[in-house]
Amino acid sequence: MRRISAALTVKLCLAALLFAGAALVFLGFWGKGICERSGFSDGNSFHAVYQVSRDADRTWSDRIFPALKLLSEKEQETLNQVCGSLLSEETGEPAGMEDQEFQYKALFTAYLLGGPKLAASERKKIAGLDEEEGERLRPELLRCITEEERELPEAARTNAESLSGQERQAMLFQLFFASAGSAAPDLTGHVNQLKKSVRGRDQQLQAVRMAAEGEVGGFSRFFIGSSRTVILLGILLILDVLLLALMMAASRTWSFDIKWVLILLIIDFLLVFLVLPLARMLYGAFFPEGSFSLSTMKRLVTYPLNLEAVKNTVIVSLATMVMGTAIAFPLAFLIGRTNLYGRKFFRSLFVISYMVPPYVGAMAWLRLMNPNVGEINLWLRRLFGLGDAPGPLNVYSIPGMIWVLTTFYFPYAFITISRAMEKMDPTLEDASRVSGASPLKTVFRIDLPLMLPSLLAGALLVFVSAASCYGIPSIIGKPGNVNTITTRIVEYTALGQKGLQDATALSVFLMVMALIVLLISDVVLAKRQYITVSGKSVTPALVHLRSWRKPLTVLVALFAVLVTALPFATILLTSFKTDVGKSVLADGNFTTANWTTVFSGSETIHCLKNSLLYGFAAATAGILISVIMNYLKQRTVLKGRAIPSFLITLGSGTPSVVIALGLIMTMRGNYGINIYGTAHIMIIAYMVKYLMMGMRTVSSSMSQVHASLEECSQISGAGWLRTMLRITGPLIFPSIAAGWFLIFIPSFYELSMTTLLYSGTTKTIGFQLYEYWTFTSQPMSCAMAAGILLFILLLNFLLSRMTKGRFSI
Amino acid sequence: MVKVTLKHIVKSFGDSVVVRDVDEEIREGEFVTLLGPSGCGKTTMLRMIAGFEKPTSGEIWFDDRLIAGGKTFVPPEKREIGMVFQSYAVWPHMTVFDNTAYPLTLRKMPKEEIRTRVEKVLEQMHLSKYAERLPGQLSGGQQQRVALARALVAEPKLLLLDEPLSNLDAKLRESMRFEIKRLQRAFGITVIYVTHDQTEAMAMSDRIFVLNRGGLQQAGTPEEIYDHPVNPFVADFLGKVDFFRGEAENGKIRLPELGGQYVPCTGTETGKVYVGIRPENLIFTEESGGTLSGTLETQYYLGDVDDCRVRIGDTLVRVITDGYAYKKMKDGQNVRLSVRDLMVFEDDGSLEETLRIKT
Repeated sequence: MRRISAALTVKLCLAALLFAGAALVFLGFWGKGICERSGFSDGNSFHAVYQVSRDADRTWSDRIFPALKLLSEKEQETLNQVCGSLLSEETGEPAGMEDQEFQYKALFTAYLLGGPKLAASERKKIAGLDEEEGERLRPELLRCITEEERELPEAARTNAESLSGQERQAMLFQLFFASAGSAAPDLTGHVNQLKKSVRGRDQQLQAVRMAAEGEVGGFSRFFIGSSRTVILLGILLILDVLLLALMMAASRTWSFDIKWVLILLIIDFLLVFLVLPLARMLYGAFFPEGSFSLSTMKRLVTYPLNLEAVKNTVIVSLATMVMGTAIAFPLAFLIGRTNLYGRKFFRSLFVISYMVPPYVGAMAWLRLMNPNVGEINLWLRRLFGLGDAPGPLNVYSIPGMIWVLTTFYFPYAFITISRAMEKMDPTLEDASRVSGASPLKTVFRIDLPLMLPSLLAGALLVFVSAASCYGIPSIIGKPGNVNTITTRIVEYTALGQKGLQDATALSVFLMVMALIVLLISDVVLAKRQYITVSGKSVTPALVHLRSWRKPLTVLVALFAVLVTALPFATILLTSFKTDVGKSVLADGNFTTANWTTVFSGSETIHCLKNSLLYGFAAATAGILISVIMNYLKQRTVLKGRAIPSFLITLGSGTPSVVIALGLIMTMRGNYGINIYGTAHIMIIAYMVKYLMMGMRTVSSSMSQVHASLEECSQISGAGWLRTMLRITGPLIFPSIAAGWFLIFIPSFYELSMTTLLYSGTTKTIGFQLYEYWTFTSQPMSCAMAAGILLFILLLNFLLSRMTKGRFSI
Repeated sequence: MVKVTLKHIVKSFGDSVVVRDVDEEIREGEFVTLLGPSGCGKTTMLRMIAGFEKPTSGEIWFDDRLIAGGKTFVPPEKREIGMVFQSYAVWPHMTVFDNTAYPLTLRKMPKEEIRTRVEKVLEQMHLSKYAERLPGQLSGGQQQRVALARALVAEPKLLLLDEPLSNLDAKLRESMRFEIKRLQRAFGITVIYVTHDQTEAMAMSDRIFVLNRGGLQQAGTPEEIYDHPVNPFVADFLGKVDFFRGEAENGKIRLPELGGQYVPCTGTETGKVYVGIRPENLIFTEESGGTLSGTLETQYYLGDVDDCRVRIGDTLVRVITDGYAYKKMKDGQNVRLSVRDLMVFEDDGSLEETLRIKT
């Protein structure tokens, strides 16, 4: 019986919550309706009206009414008439409203929004009078309104002396209200908000009337003023309750588990900041005017600029994918499976270039392959005696962009393929050898087919990364007039409303492309990934290169110099130059001024602080979510525990510019959340994009901590918390640290999302570097880039130290 | 059928010597097991014969063909051998048929012949109906048979097996033992088999090579190895044995650990020796008979046998007798034991060390 009743209680609670959610939605829509009927476009103005009304109320009872009481009845009557006529002058309504209180409050409000001009300094001066002076001044002012000849008090002389008749009366009233009303800065803010949203006489009248009537109570104010937020909360609550009910039904236990709240909170976060923006964008793309239409998506092919961007992106990404994989596979094989000299060194070298900001690579290659003054071009010209004509290499071109993207993205494929190679059971190769296949034949008939799923996954990863990259095309593509989808999206977004349609079309295209690729590599390829049983743990048999060992090592080393050392050296050397065209050793060309200028500038310091702060916040919140989610996912059998990781994968697979654009479209108050232009929106964007990094790192190490280790601790008498702190925590700490850094580092130097989301006060170091490069000076931006790189290397070193070498990037 | 000759094989990785001076011969059509604890060098030995490792010194001959030694090194693909790995090493991306056909396709055989030969070997392995399946859809035992089929399909003269049964469950392991033995007889092939399981070695081998710490301890038939081990290590690694210190004099050995009682000995040893007695060679006898007397301390009834501990002097001695004895004896009663057989080793002070390595 008790079981049943407990289940019933839970069900009733759920029903109650569902009802509460529905109520919230209803109240929200009710408030929104009132808000719209009242002529205000949004809740903020409504909120402002409320604030103004409260102030009018207080002013009436504290200041205006006491001052009126000091006047004689006759004087009051005259004053009422003046007030009425001024009010009808101001609002256009005929005079003759009897209610004294309403009349004065309405005039007060009307004068806040308009009325005779009073300089801010004057207003401040008169409002700043002390209480006693004010009390003497106010009745005096009122008397002056009734008697034109009466001598003006000192405080009113400058403003009212030259006026007469109604103008004088109006000004005196304005001064009176200035002295009576509060000078609170937040009221000024509300008044400004109201002034902005009140357009035309009707709305002003409406506002004045509402404020004066004081019809906006606290309760309704909340549901009217924040109607969109209320609707959002209501919908979330309904969704959560439905999800919870589904989870409970699926697990057949109608009992409540607090852990579900954690799961739901994380789901809510991702629903609001990932699913809502993406859904909004899709809606905008296919329902541009509220009804289904392909007109927006047609712009992709009908508008030449869009078509060109799509073509460029597809060509460039495909070429990068082919080249990147073609480089990564042999490299992964040589480094992972042969006795190449310095394998470990090469491995960490290629892996670390994974962590270099893309735009830094672009800057370096731009210096190296500029058609006129690029170092490599100068060198090639000298070598082949080509004279002074530009070229032979031109980085500002499609091939140039492919090359830079390849050098930057081949490590993605390299890491994926290496991992698969290391996991492969080496006896699979041995079996082929004893069957009569030579080593080379074994590579082609056994290794390559076995690696194929990972190879494809790596290739697709390169494709998507290249297609979603903004840093490289923005630096190389723009001057060379090679536009890609990402650069176009950013440009369209900068145009505001006008560009939104095209930005949406391109974003949806990019997003769908990325998500299809994600689906292929996650679902289709994962099934083809062969899990090979390895009985004994044998270190993979290394292929002996014999006489090829030295030449191949030299080749790999040359490649490493080309893609890592050379660009880094270029950045570093350029950062010490006065004249970029000359050698750093040339007379007087060496300078440290770039460094000192850049890193002592308050602007840079400000951006650096922002970057550190946002990175810190995103990484800390992100790793917390990762740990909780992984714990729930691996250690509990709660239903629905996999939903957040699905959403997190979706977030990491969505191109950065698409996430940013979606956030712009949904986070400016139109869906109940207004964080546009704040630090919050940046941190949230970073989290949505990079949470996956933390999830993956923590996941792999937590799955290695067998549950029996925890169970053993509990058997020994430790509670859940102690077990976490003493057993699980220390065991997975290195991965937590690593996951933290893996979220922090890309957030720290992020550019694509920042470009779209920054505001004056939230610029980050990545964006600052981009601005320096575009508008200021190359040597200075190189100094900044070198600084960022050194910082990342330092972090990597720290991480490797902290985790005793188990993790580095 | 090939004769494999190992001439003074030494293999070292850096400073550590993994195989030291192994000098033996595996005869044509013989089933030889390399037996030893983990780390004894047996797998390295096998990998040298397969061609995955190069001997540091010494020579390997297949019949009268030098395949490794000096400047000569024939790579595995040219040695024409079959090999089965512990992890099966069945290629997961190929069907059973393709896995099995692989060695033949490399020999550029006509398609039709490949088909008939693969079908024949799959038939022998009872795998015909799985031919088009991927290995992922097979059980461990079936995968193991695919590995065997692939190793045998090209009719190699030499088959190498590296702990092929260790990933199978006990029942399957036993039936596979007979299967492998049957196939070896059917194909008349020379087999080198690596295992650390002595029962497996005893059941299948014509001869066993017992290895320890890289050195060949003894090579002989299962009987020779079991009954006449050359040193305590071999005695201990195959079967159960208790060792006692003893002093040999006049055809008798005094055992101080067994309260100074004597056991008879046929040998000519004198002075300090080690005596090894297998528990099944101690027989309960009548009150009057036997050579040793003690107290029955505990019995573990295992059904087929009765595993007893008898206190003789200050030492607990293990005695294994048939399960029937259990019903007649009571814990605590005095018993007399006769010694059916025993092993006598010279005491060179190495026993403790040898036994420590084993465990």
